[in-house]
Amino acid sequence: MKPLDPRLIKHARAARSYIVLTAVLGVIMSVAVVFQALVVARLVGTLASGGELTAKALKNGLIILAVIVAVRVAVAWVQERFAHRAATNTIAELRGAVIRHVVALGPRFEAEGGAAKAAQLVTRGLDALDAYFARYLPQLLMVVTVTPILLVVAGFVDWVSAIIMFATIPLIPIFMILIGRLTEAYSARRLKTMAHLGAQVMDLITGLPTLKALGREHGPAGRVRELSQAHQKATFGTVKIAFLSGAALELIATLSVALVAVSVGLRLQAGHMALVDGLAIIMIAPEIYLPLRNVGAHFHASANGVAASNRVFDLLAVPAPADGTRAAPDLTKASIVFDNVSVQAPGRDYQAPTGLSFRLPPGSLMALTGPNGAGKSTAAAVLLGLTAPTEGRVLVEPGDGGEPIDLAQIDRRSWWEQIAWAPQRPVLLPGTVLENLLESYDGEAELTPEAEAAARAASFSEVVAELPSGWRTPVGQGGIGLSVGQRQRLALARVFLRGEPLVILDEPTAHLDAATEAQILESITELGRQGRTVLLVAHRPALVSQAHTSVAVESTAFSEATP
Amino acid sequence: MRGRPLVRAIRLTGLNIGQLAAAVFFGALTQAASVALAGASAWLIVRASQMPPVLSLQVAVVGVRAFGITRGVSRYIERLTAHRVALSGMTNLRVQLYERMASGSGTGAATFKRGDVLARVGADIDDVGDLVVRGIIPALVAAVLMIGSSLAVAAFLPLAGLAVFVCLSVVAVGGPLATFRAARISELMASAARSEVSAASLGIIENASELRVSGQLGPAMEALKTHEEQLTKATDAVARPSAFANALTEAGVGLALISTLILSAMAWRAGALTAPEVAVIVLMPLAAFESVAGLSAAAAQVYKSRAAATRIVALADAGHSPAPVGAAPAPAIRQAPDGVLEAKNLSVGWQEDRPVVQGVALTLAPGQAIGLVGRSGAGKTTLLTALAGLIEPQAGSVTVGDTSLGNLTSEARAGTVAFIAEDAHIFATTVLENLRVANGSLSEDEAVAVLRQVGLDHWLEGLPDGIGTLLGSGADTISGGERRRLLLARALVSQARYILLDEPAEHLDPAAGKHLTAQLIAAARAAGRGLLVVSHQEDTLAGTDHVYRVDEATMTSTGRT
Repeated sequence: MKPLDPRLIKHARAARSYIVLTAVLGVIMSVAVVFQALVVARLVGTLASGGELTAKALKNGLIILAVIVAVRVAVAWVQERFAHRAATNTIAELRGAVIRHVVALGPRFEAEGGAAKAAQLVTRGLDALDAYFARYLPQLLMVVTVTPILLVVAGFVDWVSAIIMFATIPLIPIFMILIGRLTEAYSARRLKTMAHLGAQVMDLITGLPTLKALGREHGPAGRVRELSQAHQKATFGTVKIAFLSGAALELIATLSVALVAVSVGLRLQAGHMALVDGLAIIMIAPEIYLPLRNVGAHFHASANGVAASNRVFDLLAVPAPADGTRAAPDLTKASIVFDNVSVQAPGRDYQAPTGLSFRLPPGSLMALTGPNGAGKSTAAAVLLGLTAPTEGRVLVEPGDGGEPIDLAQIDRRSWWEQIAWAPQRPVLLPGTVLENLLESYDGEAELTPEAEAAARAASFSEVVAELPSGWRTPVGQGGIGLSVGQRQRLALARVFLRGEPLVILDEPTAHLDAATEAQILESITELGRQGRTVLLVAHRPALVSQAHTSVAVESTAFSEATP
Repeated sequence: MRGRPLVRAIRLTGLNIGQLAAAVFFGALTQAASVALAGASAWLIVRASQMPPVLSLQVAVVGVRAFGITRGVSRYIERLTAHRVALSGMTNLRVQLYERMASGSGTGAATFKRGDVLARVGADIDDVGDLVVRGIIPALVAAVLMIGSSLAVAAFLPLAGLAVFVCLSVVAVGGPLATFRAARISELMASAARSEVSAASLGIIENASELRVSGQLGPAMEALKTHEEQLTKATDAVARPSAFANALTEAGVGLALISTLILSAMAWRAGALTAPEVAVIVLMPLAAFESVAGLSAAAAQVYKSRAAATRIVALADAGHSPAPVGAAPAPAIRQAPDGVLEAKNLSVGWQEDRPVVQGVALTLAPGQAIGLVGRSGAGKTTLLTALAGLIEPQAGSVTVGDTSLGNLTSEARAGTVAFIAEDAHIFATTVLENLRVANGSLSEDEAVAVLRQVGLDHWLEGLPDGIGTLLGSGADTISGGERRRLLLARALVSQARYILLDEPAEHLDPAAGKHLTAQLIAAARAAGRGLLVVSHQEDTLAGTDHVYRVDEATMTSTGRT
């Protein structure tokens, strides 16, 4: 594990300024510690050596001390005040980067489970970085600022003590690493046992309702006790080993401070040293070890954060599919040709769809049919350029007799501008219903006659009529939810409003009752009448019958256990 | 009362007071060694500068070294003893929770309604353990140390002792108070902002393709940014009190330093102190602040654990909820009764006086299959839970023959009615044992046969140890469809007279769902069992004798034409 990942600094701007701030604070803190030690040593030393400590000297000393204390208070305040903000902003930057990258990676990554992992990361995983930034990192920076600065100052005050400390500081990491290495295998084994036993106990507790429903709740009570005790024993064993390196750190740090004190004391007795220097040294010595001890204390808290950031960078390293460069042909004239397209099902040993070939001329109304899992929606994703075919290709034949273009070479943005797509569960963004229809969220959306006509054509008007504030009803995150059927009608209204030449509808009637289904089917016919190309992903016979042509999508999967 | 759930949760852990005292002792010893090391060093150095014979310094030299070693060693022992007491407390807590929930009259509604709570109970128990290690023990240690080090200074100069005590107290009280304030702000503002950010992020990730194609990714990212800004604001609000707590510690240290300096300088001038004593008074107290400064973290832990403790206490209470007034006496009948399963005028719900379904009349005879349909949220699952005798009816009765299900022992009840919930648990044990929970005498061959019957033969072939394969906890290693089929297999092996199945076709291909349900119906008929199937899709219920409809909190019998 790297103590400070350079990728973190590269990816997160917020982290950079925070690191600089913390380093500066570390330097200020060192200066404050040095001055405090020198002033106190002078005051106490003068008193103790029988020198005359005038009221004026005492007053001056106290004033300087008060200033130093004020500086230390300010540094402590600033450090804590900005640590969490830096953490929050860094997490926000990383979250944004992850989300943008996941979006670019497309549905294939999602199907392989990557999106679920990314979702865990952006919702909870990244929060572990807060402890890393607010607790661990400042101490780590103190180790590289405060510790060396104080060590140099100590060298000027008393070089013998400085050498003792210089020699003992490396012992701390050496012993920690040594102990870590020696116990690595043992603790890994222990940790595994511990996690296993813990999971078994929790399994019985969380499964209790099921056990009760089956009348089996009394048997496992003894098992819960046994497993719990075994878990306790395993955990204690792990803890015994895990705390050893921390113990070594504490022991070396305090023992070194004690050694310095004894060495100073003996040299003072022999008259080789001034009392003021001696006092200064024993005040500086513990401060030299303090950042090291704090790093040790927060080391484990930081490990989760480091693991989270590693997962971020691993994810960002997954290459996104390349975009095409050629402008898309005009889809009011172009035909789309699927040429033997197959897509490998993610993580499975079958293709869905397999060998799909069809031709979608402009103005046609076509349905993709087939059982669940045959790859209908995947075929739509291929057409959208979201998923690349594993075999075969998709060609676009411009209507003007030009050369067919492979879809892979087409610039996605120019392609999508001509396509309206309503997936099975259309998304709602936070905003009003009207804003969601117009896809404009600046708070200035106005209901136009065109929008009203589009809503009517999609049977969405009656949904709006039932909403508490009609078109101004807030929906999406924080607002009320619309049912999937209502959202499909909203998506359909968008299709009418925007007028893209190619329309892809994925199961547009799946969640509707018979009456609404009939209205939607009528809307789809209307789309056809407008001369727009429509591709339906269809299950229900009524929907399939609406299409002029239909293409059966097949997969090479084992068939489900149907009769 | 704010602290009560914490106290009660701690009681449930049966905390070993002797072990706790040992942990506090070693904690205090660690910190005391630290303070003593500072004091002894100061004394040694000032005394040494007066150049006495070396021998007269020997005690201090040995003391300094001994304190250095003691601090390191006793810190390790402290951590071990603290974890020992917390770990054994957590074991007791787990066992207590399980036993209370298991032995509860069988009607502890909360045990069933709170799948989410159960799912996080592991983390909650850890939080209560952390309360001991990071909350209670550090607080007690700090209290001991505050008094001890103030007294030690007071032994040299009473007024300085008082000054040190005041400075320590300011930090000890102000730090935790500020931390509580930070935690409250965090709870009010930051967690709301955080969940908004999470929801917006999830929204984008889940709808990534659509947003891209429709060009709405920009507005969605903007919305996320607005939430992130809210979160930053909330974080700033939280950081203010915690920055105050941090600064307060430094201020306390500084104040203690300055006040002891003034007081000891005055006392020295008056001849009340020797030179080494001055050094001890000024330098020793500084080390005492380390443990007091830790009280802020302890306060944060107490705050964090309180929510966990509240949930745990609620679970423990739910298991032990007293029987409602006028309810039947304790379950006594051990024999599964014969006869028809009948619900009369049944009202059920999770909260008192708020029935989810009411006025239910329903009969199910052996060998009969009936269906129950209704939109989601209509109370179908609640009704099943009551029909299985797992929750007490709010009104009306559920009987088999003439026996109320409430009068049966849990074994007899389970032998009469088996309830296969939609979210039933798959245990982290073998496939075989997961079926045996429903029928302890199931043989391996029977298990394989039934798995084939539910269409899991391909899956079974793919498993490394076949039927002896260990499934992961919470069954995250099997898909939704496989899980559903496994639960159906459980229903098929059950020997109960009546089987209640919740949404058997969920997560399955429509055709496969219908087929499997039909198989279950046929199997139940053949075995002479009564079967009740719940679904939100009526077409999966073809083949049942009768279909009931649950709607708007009431139930109607639609019959079958």
